[in-house]
Amino acid sequence: MSGERYRGFVFVPAELAEEAELSLEQKKEILYLHANLATLSYWDLLGIPWNASCEEAQEAFRRQALSLHPDRLRGKRLGRFGARLQAIFPKLNEARETLADPGRRSAYARKTASPTERAKLEVRDIQEERRAEERRARLARQNPIVAKVARVGELMTRARRALEEGRWSQAANDFQLVCSLDPKNEEARKQADEARRKAAASRAAELHEKGLATELGGSLQAALTLFREAVEVDPGSSHAATAASRVARTLGDLPTARDMAERAVRAGPRDAAAHEALAQALAAQGDSKEARRVAERALELDPRLEGAKAVLKKRWGLFG
Amino acid sequence: MSELDLEPVIGIDLGTTNSVVATVIDGVPRVIQGRSGQLLTPSVVALAKNGKRLVGQIAKRQAITNAENTVHAAKRLIGRRWGSKEVEDAARILPYQLVAGPEGHDVRIRLGERAYAVPEISAMVLSELKADAEAFFGRRVSKAVVTVPAYFNDGQRHATKDAGRIAGLEVLRIINEPTSAALAYGFAKQMEKKVVVFDLGGGTFDISVLDIGKSVYDVVAVGGDTYLGGEDFDRRVMDWIVFAFAKENAGIDLRSDKMALQRLKDAAEKAKIELSSSPATSISLPFLVGGGEGRPALHLEKQLTREKLEELTGDLVDRCIRVVERTLRDAGVRARDVGDVILVGGMTRMPRVQRAVREFFGREPSRGVHPEEVVALGAAIQAQNLAYPAKGQSEVLLLDVTPHNLGILVVGGYFETIIPKNTTVPTSANRIFTTVQDNQTAVRIAVLQGESERATDNELLGEFVLDGLRAARRGEVEVEVQFDISADGIVGVSARDLQTGQRQSITVTATSGLTEEELRHILEENVDEALERKQAQSDFERRREAAEAVMREIEGLVPAVSDALARSRFGKDAVQKAVGVIQRVRQALAARDVQSLEANEEQLDRTLQLFKSLAAGGRPPEDPR
Ligand SMILES: Nc1ncnc2c1ncn2[C@@H]1O[C@H](COP(=O)(O)OP(=O)(O)OP(=O)(O)O)[C@@H](O)[C@H]1O
Ligand SMILES: [Mg+2]
Repeated sequence: MSGERYRGFVFVPAELAEEAELSLEQKKEILYLHANLATLSYWDLLGIPWNASCEEAQEAFRRQALSLHPDRLRGKRLGRFGARLQAIFPKLNEARETLADPGRRSAYARKTASPTERAKLEVRDIQEERRAEERRARLARQNPIVAKVARVGELMTRARRALEEGRWSQAANDFQLVCSLDPKNEEARKQADEARRKAAASRAAELHEKGLATELGGSLQAALTLFREAVEVDPGSSHAATAASRVARTLGDLPTARDMAERAVRAGPRDAAAHEALAQALAAQGDSKEARRVAERALELDPRLEGAKAVLKKRWGLFG
Repeated sequence: MSELDLEPVIGIDLGTTNSVVATVIDGVPRVIQGRSGQLLTPSVVALAKNGKRLVGQIAKRQAITNAENTVHAAKRLIGRRWGSKEVEDAARILPYQLVAGPEGHDVRIRLGERAYAVPEISAMVLSELKADAEAFFGRRVSKAVVTVPAYFNDGQRHATKDAGRIAGLEVLRIINEPTSAALAYGFAKQMEKKVVVFDLGGGTFDISVLDIGKSVYDVVAVGGDTYLGGEDFDRRVMDWIVFAFAKENAGIDLRSDKMALQRLKDAAEKAKIELSSSPATSISLPFLVGGGEGRPALHLEKQLTREKLEELTGDLVDRCIRVVERTLRDAGVRARDVGDVILVGGMTRMPRVQRAVREFFGREPSRGVHPEEVVALGAAIQAQNLAYPAKGQSEVLLLDVTPHNLGILVVGGYFETIIPKNTTVPTSANRIFTTVQDNQTAVRIAVLQGESERATDNELLGEFVLDGLRAARRGEVEVEVQFDISADGIVGVSARDLQTGQRQSITVTATSGLTEEELRHILEENVDEALERKQAQSDFERRREAAEAVMREIEGLVPAVSDALARSRFGKDAVQKAVGVIQRVRQALAARDVQSLEANEEQLDRTLQLFKSLAAGGRPPEDPR
């Protein structure tokens, strides 16, 4: 590791001088990492530049592991370095897990971009926006009627392409614009409705996904908000309502759990999981008779549902 | 300090059917031959009819005539819970008797009068291997690395570790079999590639995906099935024979006869193995069962072709491949990115298995590792690494992963993962939870391991209560739950009230089936036994010295006595009798036979007295007897 790495960090001479079977480099690295464990980025932990590749991260991790893994230092006298090491390795592990995974690495890179890097990204966005504006202005300068026909044609093509590529809200916007330019255009009106529905569904799906990720991350309250938002955007999404019900139940918010489950069942009368959620919500509220009835319906739809089976049987102990 | 002064350390592959012990000598790993010259020791323990405890080949050989008191495949039971599906299935087909442990959670095996905990049985195999190693080195061996299937859960690992302790071994580390195999495979080679280890043994199927580079053995993902192995292939052949036999012989069920069943099992395995090298084989078991009601005994004669065997076991091979698929997906590795496939375990000698692997990966699996020995070799390398990290010939670091999700029980009976499977250890993670009821002042933390999102389907590792929480509305009190897994795979869990700092923690250890109390008891018993043995030994040595002194004296007196009795017929007789006694005593000493020594000691003494008085010129008594 180069001296650059420790720039601005002051080693306490007594700490550095402590007797231990470690090289000076190892001691420095341990003291530096331990003192800054909470604030160092994953890049810094592994000693690689921002936005380094997965392969570089992997290699840096292995280099660190060969030097700092507890197994490599077994049976050595480590003094107070021993306890510091214990805290360090899991952190290096965590850094590797993120930076050696392409998806997580690029998300993390975006998150940790320095102001200059971020500015560069933004400039690129602004330039694109300006080019689009210039194009529109060019069109408007032309003959109004020609311009209008041209514009409708352009919008229709763009909207259809957006439709094909699944960018529903873009498509809905464009079709709507066509409708206002050309109110008698039936096709545009039909397509606009369709695209709006799809946009809502896809937005809901997105919120649902995000909710699931948030839930996995342990922030249940935030997940619930996302799921509910998904239900608001698209009342037909029985999945989101089911998820909202589940999380609400976990949080102990039983009225919401029930409300959401009821919506789920309304949105998906043949959705087994929705029925299961309703059964569980009812059971949690103590309405066991109704819960059993709904659980039976859920099992009719899908006989493998463990949760519904459990409602029919006895419930396991609760947290607390 | 030279290598010779260091206490030798060993690696043990404790298999379902066979166990192997290895060590590293002059930087080269090698298998230690047993005292009777064998490389593989059958993992079989028996209580012989005469009350003697037998281990290994000799126990396996007498299994047919003593099936109820011969334990094989104990590994399938280790760390399992009484009443679990796995144990119930095993109980149905094993010839020995299973009983519940004193607390009702774990499984015990009845051998004669006593019910043994499964780790005690495994310990007998480990002790045997330890003794083999000690005979090889001519000195004490006390440190070992022991391997387990990668897919073993925490309870099974702890139970295996306990077995080591009972056998008087300090278990430096429990490591995964396929990882161990990879370590031996890559030993002393420079390589940078992704490697898949496919390990199909006697009882378990295991797969590991590793990324090897810069002498770091980085496990990316593991998978497996702890109930899929050679024994299941044997069972398919047995069922086929039992069915055909019943059809041909008016419904006679071979399974009702334990001895017939044991012979059948041996024959089925033998046939399976033969079919790996030849296209057909015959199974011949004369006088297999009595014909009943005075009719002559029935014989079994059957042909089995490789094709038929493959048909009988095709779905087992498919199951392996499905596990492989899943594990590669977990690892995020495509079949074509794999640089090498290593076959481990005796069952990978079966051509159908090799073909399935070849077809899946689109490449020849690697040759050149010995499928039955490679796991122990890797364990020996790791033992050397851990015991003497600085003296390692090569710089090797093994980074293994957690095989299952680890987490806690949350409201609604759900399982919340805190450390997902395939996370490199050592590792730590924490998560914040809240109370779910108003004025809730305690939370129960139940630590679980498994893949199901229903808590009850997962393995309970331990639990504790954090109390003294501040009374508040639900959701307001926050509890941080922290998980730590050390390099040794020890799981520590703690919970902390974020407002008050109140803290509770456990180290998860209580699931091996044996309580700490029992374990101590067993260890003490072992110490007592060892003391007794030592006592008996020194007693014997004392008697040997005494007897030898007496014999020397008698022999010294022979000329004088012969002279004194030269003309008496009795004289010759007395000398002859003395020679007879001495011979018998010598035999008893050579055989270390205490009883026969005892039987002759008195006569030896009397002979000496007689000779002394004769040599001194006294008269012989009428009859010395
Ligand atoms: N040539 C062969 N063809 C087919 N099967 C074989 C052959 N040789 C051995 N086997 C089978 O391999 C199995 C034993 O393999 P191995 O010794 O690797 O298992 P183990 O290490 O004891 O078990 P595990 O690893 O599952 O605990 C037995 O079922 C045996 O019948
Ligand atoms: Mg094996």
